[in-house]
Amino acid sequence: MKFGKRLKQQIQETLPGWRDQFLSYKELKKLVRSISSAPTLLNGSFEYGRAEEEFVYLLNNEIEKFNAFFMEQEEDFVIRNKELQQRIQRVIGKWGPNGNHPSEADYKEEMAKIRKDIVDFHGEMVLLVNYSNVNYTGLAKILKKYDKRTGGLLRLPFIQKVLQQPFFTTDLISKLVKQCESTIDAVFPVEDEERTREAREAIIVAGEGIFRNTVAALQSMQEIRRGSSTYGHFSLPPLNLPDSELIQSVQLNSPIPTV
Amino acid sequence: MEARPALSFQRPGAKQLSSMGMSGALSTSLPVLPTPLEETYPKLPDSQQVSMERELVTRPLNHASHLSSNSSVVGHMFSSSSGFSTDLHYSSISPHEKHSRHSPFISQSSTNAASLPITHSSGSLQSTASHYAKENSASWQTDSLSSFLDFPVNTPIENSQVEISSCNAALASEEFTKWADQLITDDDALASNWNELLGDTSVTDLEPKMVFPVSKSSPNFQAHQSQVPLQLPATSGEIRAVANPTSLANSAPAKPRMRWTPELHESFVEAVNLLGGSERSSEKKLTPIEEMSLDLKTGIEITEALRMQMEVQKRLHEQLEIQRNLQLRIEEQGRCLQKMFEKQCKSGVDKLKTSATTLENPSTPSLDTVQESPAKSELDASQVDHGKTGTDPVNANTALEESSQELGGKHKVSEANDPENSEPDACESSSQPSKRPRTDE
Repeated sequence: MKFGKRLKQQIQETLPGWRDQFLSYKELKKLVRSISSAPTLLNGSFEYGRAEEEFVYLLNNEIEKFNAFFMEQEEDFVIRNKELQQRIQRVIGKWGPNGNHPSEADYKEEMAKIRKDIVDFHGEMVLLVNYSNVNYTGLAKILKKYDKRTGGLLRLPFIQKVLQQPFFTTDLISKLVKQCESTIDAVFPVEDEERTREAREAIIVAGEGIFRNTVAALQSMQEIRRGSSTYGHFSLPPLNLPDSELIQSVQLNSPIPTV
Repeated sequence: MEARPALSFQRPGAKQLSSMGMSGALSTSLPVLPTPLEETYPKLPDSQQVSMERELVTRPLNHASHLSSNSSVVGHMFSSSSGFSTDLHYSSISPHEKHSRHSPFISQSSTNAASLPITHSSGSLQSTASHYAKENSASWQTDSLSSFLDFPVNTPIENSQVEISSCNAALASEEFTKWADQLITDDDALASNWNELLGDTSVTDLEPKMVFPVSKSSPNFQAHQSQVPLQLPATSGEIRAVANPTSLANSAPAKPRMRWTPELHESFVEAVNLLGGSERSSEKKLTPIEEMSLDLKTGIEITEALRMQMEVQKRLHEQLEIQRNLQLRIEEQGRCLQKMFEKQCKSGVDKLKTSATTLENPSTPSLDTVQESPAKSELDASQVDHGKTGTDPVNANTALEESSQELGGKHKVSEANDPENSEPDACESSSQPSKRPRTDE
């Protein structure tokens, strides 16, 4: 139940276009409940086989959905990454100190825009990784529930299959994220005057958007792993966030419309 | 005809329209409006396309001449209208749909030419109307006449209002009209036909009902459109009053469809950009920057906000990687354990077979447990075992967690992969020691 709520919250906080791409956890749970509430039809019976079939069918559909969405986003990110790189090169080449028409004002202006875009881009990619993870967690949980309620052995082999799925293989995206980070560090180095301002205000209000979603995702992850009632062999240990004050200092208020 | 209820409405109006001296007779030049209307009307379903095309060829000239008087804001539209004959996009536009489309326009444009008692009609109004008409005929595919009537041709009437509704007046309106211009470019023939059909002398007739049919691919366009109708009712009640016949037609159900051409799109995008950027970012990617007052943020503040955002994002990514690695390892370990159980089960069965008589076999209790595990969920079995051995698996887990946290937090993904590769071995080796105490029991 806790995961279900957390998942719902995350879906609410996520980018609008992503809302219906997440796992239909609630529906699957209902199905599991309905299957297990017919205890007479168990192990070996035809009915049970049918119920399992249906469950597996739904799961496969969900996986398909994840894969499709994930790969589409991945492709989009690859393209945008390229574009950003090119944009940076163009600006440097044109208005940079060694460029064709060195112009500090233009350079600064363009770089500011690029900086914002690249940070957002980084954020979106991370959110996609989060998407992958949340859905995987949901699948693992629902499979565990299924096995528990029906005494089946669906979980282990099925989860092995899930691990191979494109939506879970986030290596490329992670690589892009790292690349993005290094680009940012290279193009926008931390200046000394900024360092002195690192001790910033405690509370920052986050509205809508990628930042908000990111913070929500982190908090959610922390909550989900706080302590499982059914802690077992396959449970994740509690989340230990270094600098958790950082996250806690960001309050998520309801979106304030910026007029 | 049932298929064209709107048309039937227009019939009485058609005469009026024709009397307006609207340009764009169905198949002839302007002055001949009344008669061709009657003739061409029945012909419409069959030969509309043909007549349309002819219209298009002839109408530009007619329109241009008529509309030239109505320059005002929309002056530039005329220049663009010259190109409209080339923009014919008649594909499968059903005749009556086209008809309906155009008639309001035509009537409006015709009003330009004639002395229509349009209260609002500025020159721009009429010119835009005609332009709309032109574009409509070419690029739209309407489902029914009524939809045509729905088109807020009246927008031209409220020219300024329309533009203002979109955004800033001058610049925006220019772009908007340019865009609208393109839209109307191909609509000539239909417009003229419609004019004749309606025969309405007042633009007002057609005014409130016209709604641009919007193709599926242009939701923004629809947004624009929807703004227009809002403006329309606001204007002249007089106009609306006259538009009764069209209102009836308006209530017809079918929704018109507009074919969104690339040229159309380009102009539209231009207009939108002038009006203040695309709104299609429904995902408003507001960052901490936006959270602060947009007026007062300084460079440093922006930078700081971005840095904070990066921090959080990096943190999330880090944790996600850790979590993913953990999950992989957990499953891996689970698989190993499963294999262990199965192997032990097999060996246990063999042992039982070989030593069937020795029931005091010390390994039996655990073997029974192990044997049951394939039947039940492996989780139950492992939990039973865990109960016996206590902390072993938990220690294994925490050990895993610590190591993976270190790895995930500090090393790159590639490095983290190496421990994973050696994981199966580790799994095997770690399972062995933990297994022994169990079997020894």
